[in-house]
Amino acid sequence: MQEMEKVMMKGSAPKNIDPTKFSFVQVDAEKCQACGTCDDVCKTGAIQPVGKDEKRQVLDPAACVNCGQCLVNCPYGAIYEEVSFVDEVFKALKDPNTVVVSMPAPAVRYALGEAFGLPAGTHVGGKMHAALRKLGFKLIWDNEFTADVTIMEEGTELLNRVKKPSHGAPLPQFTSCCPGWVKFVEAFYPELIPNLSSAKSPIGMLGALAKTYGAKQTKTDPGKMFTVSIMPCIAKKYEGLRPELAASGYRDTDVTITTRELAYMIKKAGIDFKNLKDEAADPILGEATGAATIFATSGGVMEAALRLAYEVLSGDRLKDVDLKGVRAHEGIKTASVDVPKFGKVNVAVASGLDNAKKLCDEVKAGKSPHHFIEIMTCPGGCVNGGGQILNPSVRTADNGCSKVFAEINKRLAMKAQA
Amino acid sequence: MSDNTDCTRRDFLKLAGAAAAVAAVATAAPGLVTEAEAAELDLVTKRQTGVYAADSNPKLYKARKSQDNAMVQKLYAKDGFLHDGPTGHKAHLLLHTHYFDRSAGVKALKAKGIKLKA
Repeated sequence: MQEMEKVMMKGSAPKNIDPTKFSFVQVDAEKCQACGTCDDVCKTGAIQPVGKDEKRQVLDPAACVNCGQCLVNCPYGAIYEEVSFVDEVFKALKDPNTVVVSMPAPAVRYALGEAFGLPAGTHVGGKMHAALRKLGFKLIWDNEFTADVTIMEEGTELLNRVKKPSHGAPLPQFTSCCPGWVKFVEAFYPELIPNLSSAKSPIGMLGALAKTYGAKQTKTDPGKMFTVSIMPCIAKKYEGLRPELAASGYRDTDVTITTRELAYMIKKAGIDFKNLKDEAADPILGEATGAATIFATSGGVMEAALRLAYEVLSGDRLKDVDLKGVRAHEGIKTASVDVPKFGKVNVAVASGLDNAKKLCDEVKAGKSPHHFIEIMTCPGGCVNGGGQILNPSVRTADNGCSKVFAEINKRLAMKAQA
Repeated sequence: MSDNTDCTRRDFLKLAGAAAAVAAVATAAPGLVTEAEAAELDLVTKRQTGVYAADSNPKLYKARKSQDNAMVQKLYAKDGFLHDGPTGHKAHLLLHTHYFDRSAGVKALKAKGIKLKA
């Protein structure tokens, strides 16, 4: 076990493993105080009390969507990650024959600064690019580029479904960027699989484009490329290992690390992050728009898609791009957007799988009025992902007052069960 | 603390009357971690505010619509890598995927009597 940004990390995933059979988070029984915070935040019931002392455990990977909300909310730091590829990344960075490619997600740049004393929410995209170059990444590509590509693919798919919905491609269309959500549909609502957009997530697209288009444009041997997905998310480790994601003829994503692991690497390399000068990503697969960066928050994918759909459906330029009606701090938000020459586009945005369930049941019953539904597993979206820098106020174990509070919670939870 | 849990648990339940007020509060807020959750929301709000501020900051992002990204336009151009456009043949091969019914594992757990939340 290694500690990275206050989270214990076990090690690498065994090679060629079926990621569905593998747990990405688990509870350290030595540290668990049976307070029940994790079963409260877990919306699938994958984490449950076990045995007489009611210490929690992830019961079975089949029920866990790997979101890591249990881990980031545990007041005792009792939940650890099973998989860390940091050692592999350091090894690849040292190998002169390997071209290490960076692929950071939008949300990473809104939390990474917190690990270096910057205020929460500071956009550190430029410093992050500089730090990646200093670490030895050869191609600084950015997942925000493929967030824009996702809008082109997923948005066009939506327009096709609106024009001609079919049994295989019905309405409403669900977003498919969030790997916790995708696994949730596959495991708990398989009948809704046809409603999921067939578009890969932005990282699924970037891995595939890096080793084809990107390799061609930069005259790089794709066999020597090592693509590193950098995510606010633990479930992206699972997604990166999905066997079908090898469209380039290689593994599209070689390894996945989190915001915390990137912060750990930057510190370990002794880089003075706070004082780095902003740098741009490398062209070809690095340029992005505002529509891409808002993928980081609940409502962002929807707003970005509507900025495209409006123009395609109406044939007009969208003048005011701030579609505040779909910005969702938390919970469920629905909106009906008037599009000239088309009519109303009905949309819903939800974060948190308890909220997603409500929308799923509505679709299952054939009662959904929506054209397009965006779901993110983590409350508030990827900015609050399970791979982000921890909220300093969550770890209450060394705070006497909160300890008493946790004890009371624990008793009440027991009483509720009795 | 944890080694005498069994004893203190019973003691605590005997004092449940005194805890009634606390319980009422906890019932009103079904999440038992109100303190931590409140702090969490505050942090999420800060990060979300940062996201929208960047979206509308032309120094960080020149354009605000995906279709206006010059490199996206280059990718889909008539002589570009994905010249048959979004959801075209090549885009399908590289950028689209398929999903799997994974409900068997969940059904097996439920058959064992394990209660899940979905």
